[in-house]
Amino acid sequence: MSATTTAAAPVDTSPATRRHPGALAPLRWEIRKLRAQYRAKAVLIGALVLPVIVVVVIQGQSRPPKDTLFGRFATDNGFALSLLVLGFAAQWVLPLLTAVVAGDIFASEDQHGTWKTVLTRSTSRAQLFWAKTLTACGFAVIVLAVLATSTIVSSVLIVGHQPLTGLSGQTIPAAEALRLVAASWATMLPAMLGFTCLAILLSVWSRNPAVGIAAPVVIGMVMQLVGALGGVEAIRPFLLTTPFEAWHGLFADPRFTGPLTEGLITSAAWCAVCLGAAFVMLRRRDITGG
Amino acid sequence: MNDLLAVEATGVTKTFGSVLAVDDITIRVAAGEVYGVLGPNGAGKTTFLRMLFGLIRPDSGTIEVLGKSWGADGVGVLDGVGGFIESPRFYPYLTGRQNLEGLALLDGGVRPGLLEELLELVEMTDRADQKVGGYSYGMRQRLGVAASLLREPRLLVLDEPANGLDPAGIRDMRALVKRLANSGLTVLLSSHDMDEVEEICDNVTIMKRGTVAFHGTIAKLRTMAPDPGHLLATTDDTRALALAEQHPALRVTRDPEAALVVTGPTPDVSAYVAALVRNNIDLLTLTQTQTPLEALFFMLTDDTTHQTLDRPAELAELAEAAR
Repeated sequence: MSATTTAAAPVDTSPATRRHPGALAPLRWEIRKLRAQYRAKAVLIGALVLPVIVVVVIQGQSRPPKDTLFGRFATDNGFALSLLVLGFAAQWVLPLLTAVVAGDIFASEDQHGTWKTVLTRSTSRAQLFWAKTLTACGFAVIVLAVLATSTIVSSVLIVGHQPLTGLSGQTIPAAEALRLVAASWATMLPAMLGFTCLAILLSVWSRNPAVGIAAPVVIGMVMQLVGALGGVEAIRPFLLTTPFEAWHGLFADPRFTGPLTEGLITSAAWCAVCLGAAFVMLRRRDITGG
Repeated sequence: MNDLLAVEATGVTKTFGSVLAVDDITIRVAAGEVYGVLGPNGAGKTTFLRMLFGLIRPDSGTIEVLGKSWGADGVGVLDGVGGFIESPRFYPYLTGRQNLEGLALLDGGVRPGLLEELLELVEMTDRADQKVGGYSYGMRQRLGVAASLLREPRLLVLDEPANGLDPAGIRDMRALVKRLANSGLTVLLSSHDMDEVEEICDNVTIMKRGTVAFHGTIAKLRTMAPDPGHLLATTDDTRALALAEQHPALRVTRDPEAALVVTGPTPDVSAYVAALVRNNIDLLTLTQTQTPLEALFFMLTDDTTHQTLDRPAELAELAEAAR
């Protein structure tokens, strides 16, 4: 079956000479959208304010949480308290903070039916994919920086900056302790980016913001549980939650950084696999909704 | 300037699972014309338009838009093309203006002042700084037209632009599309409303179940349209029915709702009505059941109508025309 009509009169159909967006244009658009969303702002404000509240509450307790790493010093030493919060945050807070944006950034286009709006412009799927990915990763870096800064500053200011007792019983001078605490928080970044990419994959796959946000947190908790079980040494290095514990070696004497390197590789592998799968999924997808 | 086709889709097929959505269709839209793609819901119109925009990949066949193809030119195929599929969607947490600014960013920027011009054109200037989440359906449709024109297209693709609008909104939208068409744009308009297509388009493809049931000019379609049907209520339907025997060109039957159904050429209907009046039979109501083009549309697209119509010759002619 065919439908053919002839032209009534020639009209200009020569190839268009319209401008094309630069590589950064989709990124600027994604950042602009993110800045307009209350959810992202709320997460950043939470990352800024909640550590202060947590520090005040813990510091006010008569008995420190001795059964946790650096817990026994938490009420007397700001660096120890920062590390206590870090250990807690790594359990599910960090995956949640990054998933709030990364798990939503693709699926929200399905939720709002806007794929067809943006994909009928002069920007390709690949450009949009990388713009969204960079935005989500950038948000992860910022929220981690805000959380770390707020925790360290409030801990040091409220509890104090006395020399820290390391995991081997050694005394770490305050300046060195501050550097190590900051470095410990920074070591969260690779695994957090791994969770960002996992959330992106789930966001693309599920097309559902709730799944994109909640599933990485649940998966992270399951990994924590599996990692804590005995007899799983073979798979523990491949779990995305294992790099969250790699900072422990920084506070041992002598210091060891092997887990940091392994964690970096593990996180990079998770990032590559998740982003690769998400990219292929998005490129091949038929946009039928909206 | 050249005489390239604005759209050249050849042998395009798309299936979703076991559902054949578009079956080997070929559609060519000449530059400068206003082309309608008409069909009932599920006919494959929107699937075809989504393939044109690259939102859906065809299983087979090729689509060229303004001389470019997805295979060779990627997203560059959309240079010079604007439009929307089904109801236009925007980010509800951004204002109308912010949405347009963002889309302009994705287009590589627009010339200064264009955004304001378009907001004025679609009468959205006053509401442009309100969040889209609070817009009515009609406002979103108008914003969709503005977003399409932001690309300064030479081919404008509109998928059921008047769908869901109130009568005033439909009137305004049709007037806007006609204005745009008169400005020299090639317009590809999808609709399930025969009146809309008849009013706006030069040429039309009627789709049914993913295939082309008819293509040609509106004028050609009119010549193929069946006689109009009328519902007639009189003060004496029995006598009116008897009087109809003197008008062999008409078919007059009783309707289950006690009215008479009069089918036939308009001059014969007029003569029949005059005869009723001369015979002191007063008319209570006389209403057209369907326009001839509507009737033809249903003949072409409704399987049940095909089975009950007794105009095989005409249907055969239509089938031949479609081929």
